[in-house]
Amino acid sequence: MAVENLLLDSFVRLLAKVSPPTAVRRAEADGDVADILGGIEESGFMDALVPESRGGSGLSLADAVPLFLAAGGYLLPIPFAETAVARAVIAAAGAQSPPGKTIVLWPATHAGRLMSQVGPLCERSSLALVQRGAEFQLLPITFGERRADPFRMRSARPEPDASPLAEFALPHVDLLHWAAAITAANMAGAMERLLELSLAHVNDRQQFGRSIGKFQAIQQQLSVFAERAVSARVAARIGLMGSNLTLDGRRVAIAKSVANESARASVSIAHAVHGAIGISEAHELQLYTRRLNRWQLSFGSDAYWQRRVGRSRLKSSDATGVDFVRTVIAGTEAC
Amino acid sequence: MIALTEAFAGASIPAGAEEFRAQVKSFLAEKLPDRPSSARARSWSAFDAPFSRSLAERGWLGLTLPKQYGGGGYDAFSRFVLVEELLIAGAPVAAHWMGDRQSGPLILRYGTEEQRRFYLPRICRGEIFFCIGMSEPNAGSDLASVRTKAARTERGWLLNGSKIWTTFAHKSHYMLALVRTSGSAADRHLGLSQFVVDLTLPGVAVKPIVDLCGDDNFSEVFFEDVQLGADALVGKEGEGWTQVNSELAFERSGPERIYSSLILLDLWTRRVRRDSSEADEVRLGRLIARLAVLREMSLAITQRLANGESPVLEAALLKDLGTEFEQTIPQEIADAVAADPEVEADEDLMSTLAYLMQISPAFSLRGGTREILRGMIARGLGLR
Repeated sequence: MAVENLLLDSFVRLLAKVSPPTAVRRAEADGDVADILGGIEESGFMDALVPESRGGSGLSLADAVPLFLAAGGYLLPIPFAETAVARAVIAAAGAQSPPGKTIVLWPATHAGRLMSQVGPLCERSSLALVQRGAEFQLLPITFGERRADPFRMRSARPEPDASPLAEFALPHVDLLHWAAAITAANMAGAMERLLELSLAHVNDRQQFGRSIGKFQAIQQQLSVFAERAVSARVAARIGLMGSNLTLDGRRVAIAKSVANESARASVSIAHAVHGAIGISEAHELQLYTRRLNRWQLSFGSDAYWQRRVGRSRLKSSDATGVDFVRTVIAGTEAC
Repeated sequence: MIALTEAFAGASIPAGAEEFRAQVKSFLAEKLPDRPSSARARSWSAFDAPFSRSLAERGWLGLTLPKQYGGGGYDAFSRFVLVEELLIAGAPVAAHWMGDRQSGPLILRYGTEEQRRFYLPRICRGEIFFCIGMSEPNAGSDLASVRTKAARTERGWLLNGSKIWTTFAHKSHYMLALVRTSGSAADRHLGLSQFVVDLTLPGVAVKPIVDLCGDDNFSEVFFEDVQLGADALVGKEGEGWTQVNSELAFERSGPERIYSSLILLDLWTRRVRRDSSEADEVRLGRLIARLAVLREMSLAITQRLANGESPVLEAALLKDLGTEFEQTIPQEIADAVAADPEVEADEDLMSTLAYLMQISPAFSLRGGTREILRGMIARGLGLR
């Protein structure tokens, strides 16, 4: 326990140093993440899930979850958790990950289309781990013409004609599961920090002669926000329960479903309590809410994942919903 | 704030407690075959003394109480498993519910050795049932303003006043009551004490209150010069408020704050299995996903209770979310079953749905209203 806390503490200190809001803004504006990437790569945290025998730290997934949440909380503008998972997948296939490069997860349809309405966030030096069926390819990416998407975020796509840096098959790994579960963790982390930001604002902002946090109407809304942030965190941990690089699609579904529902409520309340200032670009709020909105569209909405849970429940032989939930939390999905 | 979000660390049921589950399941399957769903949906609102005694015969009342007082000496997770199975089977558990969950543990913690030896073995044998006397006509959410008064006499205490919305006082043997022993309502939480009131004493009158579903779970209890012995006081005089609050984490964090509408959800699931639409699948998945998260949260609090902590704030947060979930289920299912007006209504489903649509507003009233709980969370966030 103590070792985990030390690990998390040192990671959070690093995040506070390399990924303050100013650095997040700079990365958005010109894609310059050199300092951030340098700091994170040097720390070795992106090799957390790679076994020690292959030069990583061999951390368990459960121990890595707090790191993923923290990265989400600091809006770390490089695909941190994605790279950690991709490097573990690549190591499991016996291949090498190029150092100094982040890797986004690119679960694709058989036709090669990304299974997401919006692309994963990446930066210039990123690679993409593309999965089609059981086939994986590590490809360079291209940014194309546009500098930013409708959410004013930078995303890219793999270069289809480039020669892969690695190619392998791994039947038990599903990158859509990983991408959605990591998105849920990013969302949960961001919601926590958004709650802190909102609490600070309502304590500071004065109206009617006192801080607005003294009004019950505001207090009750922020209590709901806290409930949602806690739910999202618990859900994210459920999504990232797994071993041997295999997640359970039903647990991922629980995570993304609850993360999306929680994000909608959180974004709405955060904006409500901030008032007009929260709409401005200059205020920090939009850094969080813009991402929380975009993440809802990433790798399946709640409806997509909820339907998967619903169908699985209908197919299961468990007599009650609670029995089904126990099976899902304890077990592994039949492939 | 961070402390609150990190307060729900992962916890799982130990193997020993999990093994207990099969015993409970097979007992319930044998004991309670084929009851109508609307009866099962009432579960911890359904009073069935013989059923409670059949649990006592198995040693399943007072499961966590020490063996020396007739209890089972099991851990908190075993009780979680038992309660979970009772609720999802829709077992009628109201008779022993309050004594088992609250009054027994309270007497164990604050009672004298004599009180423990007098009450606890009888609670565990299912011989005596408790109700909890909290609300009064002018003290609902503002519980600290209770006016029912116990005045010291030569023989003990003289009790005057009344309690209302007491669940099953008319079928219980004892009430664990929060009353004033000094000062006035203006003194708030100072001067409150807890008493065990024998409901057969002269001067006690109990009147059932029929609710909007036609059930008579509630009652109003009047005390007119009820002479209590000195040994009716539980814990310290004037410490009633603190004692009541120490039990809140137990009262608010159990599966019964999440599962009150699951009989309906499972019934509807069986129906959807025969004929489902995409919308039904999404709806079912949405509810199951929330259930999974809430159950994990309840387990996390159970772990902290087992560690000897008193996570009152976390329990308030879970209860608010859990009761919202319980209230959402009848709303969602009402929308689903009437989506096609040409489909004939299913009688069992309709009576269960109607019961829960009507009674579910009470889920976020009983045990602390939604607004009070959110006020507690706001205090935990540093806003009050």
